Amino acid sequence: MATVEERVVAVTARVLQLEPDQIKPEHAFTTDLGAESVQSVELVAMFEEEFGIEMDEDAALSVQTVGGAVDFITKVCKEQGVDV
Amino acid sequence: MSDTRKSYPLIDATEPNLIEETFDYDLPPLIRFDGPLVEYIDGEPVHFDPKSLATRDFFITDTTFRDGQQARPPYTIDQMVHIYDLLSKLGGPNGVIRQTEFFLYTKNDRATLDRCRELGHAYPECTGWIRAVPGDFRLAKEAGLKETGMLTSSSDYHIFQKLKYKSRQACMDAYCEVVDAAFEAGVRPRCHLEDITRADIEGFVLPFVERLMRMSEQVPEELSVKIRLCDTMGFGVSFPGVELPRSIPKLIYRLNQSVGVPSSRLEWHGHNDFHKVHVNGATAWLYGCDAVNTTLFGYGERTGNPPLEGAVIEYIALKGDLCGIQTEGITELAEYMRSIGFPIPDNYPFVGRYFNTTRAGIHAGGLRSDERIYNIFDTTKLLRRPPRVALTDKTGSDGVALWVNEYFGLKGDKRLSVMKVHKVARWVRDQYEVHGRMTAISDGELEQQVKELMPEQYAKYKGSPE
Repeated sequence: MATVEERVVAVTARVLQLEPDQIKPEHAFTTDLGAESVQSVELVAMFEEEFGIEMDEDAALSVQTVGGAVDFITKVCKEQGVDV
Repeated sequence: MSDTRKSYPLIDATEPNLIEETFDYDLPPLIRFDGPLVEYIDGEPVHFDPKSLATRDFFITDTTFRDGQQARPPYTIDQMVHIYDLLSKLGGPNGVIRQTEFFLYTKNDRATLDRCRELGHAYPECTGWIRAVPGDFRLAKEAGLKETGMLTSSSDYHIFQKLKYKSRQACMDAYCEVVDAAFEAGVRPRCHLEDITRADIEGFVLPFVERLMRMSEQVPEELSVKIRLCDTMGFGVSFPGVELPRSIPKLIYRLNQSVGVPSSRLEWHGHNDFHKVHVNGATAWLYGCDAVNTTLFGYGERTGNPPLEGAVIEYIALKGDLCGIQTEGITELAEYMRSIGFPIPDNYPFVGRYFNTTRAGIHAGGLRSDERIYNIFDTTKLLRRPPRVALTDKTGSDGVALWVNEYFGLKGDKRLSVMKVHKVARWVRDQYEVHGRMTAISDGELEQQVKELMPEQYAKYKGSPE
């Protein structure tokens, strides 16, 4: 089974139309990967769909980096009893 | 030069001060005063106390069927009766909309008046409007009216150039003859001092009104002359320091104090030729006119009159209370007027299609977090018009979420997050970025997209998509 990081990278690559190997944990979604406002929302929505979780909108949209998203999603999965 | 400026250190706060004593969201923002209004008259400061408004019985009068109708094809009888009915509902039981005036010349004019009175409303009281011809009072009397307006033009433009009188004396005598005829007919005359903001105040207006006051002393109070100050060309100016005849404060002071017309018998009638019409009406209230004459949506001769619905909102702001006004009647009147082909611009305050619609994404974000940020008052409660967003390339996901929540009628915790509307937000974005669209997206288009892209929510909140 793919790790949380691999799944986050895959979703990010799909939404932002990038190659997965271009995406590093330290990359910021907006400044490094070029995510626009609508794409940031799409990313959060796609993460929810990928992991089967519900995220708080403001908290999720405040996550800046790919690594931050991995940590945040792992925490939410744990809170909502989703195995990852 | 010594530095005498006071220093203003930051007053830090961790809780917002929303100044709710003024911006009570349940009412239009209140107009609160912290001192008197001061106007210099004959070189001396004269104080006007705006706090007296709290106890003064000031009110709105309407001329939608007279001045309002001079600027458009005639209304049908049924239309006028329905408008009258709605005006009565809007003004409420205290008669904030106190009177409305009717032509009396044709069979239809008189039939309209009869049918309006048959509704049995206490307010607006029905009054007439006639030429300054003695015989015309017969019309008012036969119609059973207690009061009628009559033209008594006051500027030399009218006295000499229009009416062709040989002298001011001849003009004044003729006017007073008609006033006498009104008294004899038992009808209260309301003298319309046409073109007063272009008149010789000392030379004609004050002598004429002084004579009217003397004549009024000879008749019962209910027949005493009322004075309408007609700013026929919109020349009136509201701010202090302006000279006569354009100064509204000085005009009212002269009539009120110099020749003794009580506030209850003074009425302001404005025109909008210089974009001053609404504030001039409110100014008249402040300086001592109890009545401000208005038309629905400001529609009237040339550029129009003080808008009635604007006066209603101003009234609440000055009184600090709804005073029985049914504010949603403003929306009902606008819907009715549109249904009979009356044009109302989209950006027109309080009733225009987009009066509380924002297009900027950043404003939509503000509206979504707290609608007070970009909505003037609780327009949902007072006007049945929730704040809206129009979707363009500037709108963003916040605007889309606001639109969808409004469309589904979702409130509080039930509102959908921006994540739940992301497909619609993407469609909107692509319209501009991919397809090069240059126009706003209509409600109909958005509805279609919501139906297609959010079928589960659509089925839940709107029923099954066909």
